[in-house]
Amino acid sequence: MSATQRLKDVVEAEEGEIYDIELSTDLLKANQRLAEENKQFLHKDGVKAIDVMGATGSGKTSLIEKLVELLKNHYGIAVFKGDLTTTIDAELIARHGVEVVAINTGKECHLDANLVRKALKKLDISQIQLLFIENVGNLICPAEFPLGSDKRIVVISVTEGPFMVVKHPFIFMDADVVVINKIDLSQAMDVDVEQLEEDVKTVNPRAKVVATNCRSGEGVENVAKALGLL
Amino acid sequence: MTTQIVQSVLKEAGKHGAKKVKEVSLVIGKLTFLGLEQVRFAYEILTKGTIMEDSNLLIKESEGVVKCNSCGYEGDFKYEDNPLYHLPMPTLHCPKCGGIVEIIGGKECIIESVKLVVK
Repeated sequence: MSATQRLKDVVEAEEGEIYDIELSTDLLKANQRLAEENKQFLHKDGVKAIDVMGATGSGKTSLIEKLVELLKNHYGIAVFKGDLTTTIDAELIARHGVEVVAINTGKECHLDANLVRKALKKLDISQIQLLFIENVGNLICPAEFPLGSDKRIVVISVTEGPFMVVKHPFIFMDADVVVINKIDLSQAMDVDVEQLEEDVKTVNPRAKVVATNCRSGEGVENVAKALGLL
Repeated sequence: MTTQIVQSVLKEAGKHGAKKVKEVSLVIGKLTFLGLEQVRFAYEILTKGTIMEDSNLLIKESEGVVKCNSCGYEGDFKYEDNPLYHLPMPTLHCPKCGGIVEIIGGKECIIESVKLVVK
């Protein structure tokens, strides 16, 4: 990143030895620019990208597995799987016969547009029409870093408790679709799914909310519909 | 982020042949996830042993700004003031007409200016 890209002016201070330099360099804009480039690159070949965010264990991988099964006869699908380390989940998804690129961030708590750009180089995108990008399990930082996707999903589950939305309002502002997973456990967890849905609508009235049980597949078709994929 | 800030400033200082960085001014949007205290702490650690050590770090916060697609309102968020939330929670409802707003400001992390000693 060049710090001088937006160098406006160089002003010499009175003492003649201190330079006061105006920079106006937005460091987060650099990622936003790369994300826009990723989007254009994908659109050029007619590929739609979906960013899947959510806490560790909320069911992001299970949701993607079920969506892949549901949609693989309609679209050529590829999946980017972000994790700090290991390819456990990437291998789980690859079993469904789609191309998977594991993105190991090492220590970073989120994917960024640059990592996605690197992963795109590993794909023959002429073979795909749909790309799922599973972000690192985290409800905070991924919201700060757009990747170039067309839609963003946030997955939460009832086992995370009743306050996930009100505790993390910012990530839900960025969501097009919010999935409330593991609804089969809502009674055991004493979590009111409708209240969670209402919390999402309070923060982001634009978001579509879908309740699922990604183990049985219940509600997954509605997720695909909410994404405009069916 | 703070590493990027320090690296960008050092690069700029190098270009001007600076022997010391006196001051760095940042603008950080209130809708970023950057904690000012953590940025200051990381800045202190990261600048140790560089020409930025002991420089003055000035941080201005910029407000979140939304724009309504229905009525054209531009300004602060509508906040949901539920005592449960401890802090008022910003929402994407228009405070004027109740329509849906989009975020147009408050997500910046800008290095506004630096003061360098060059001689």
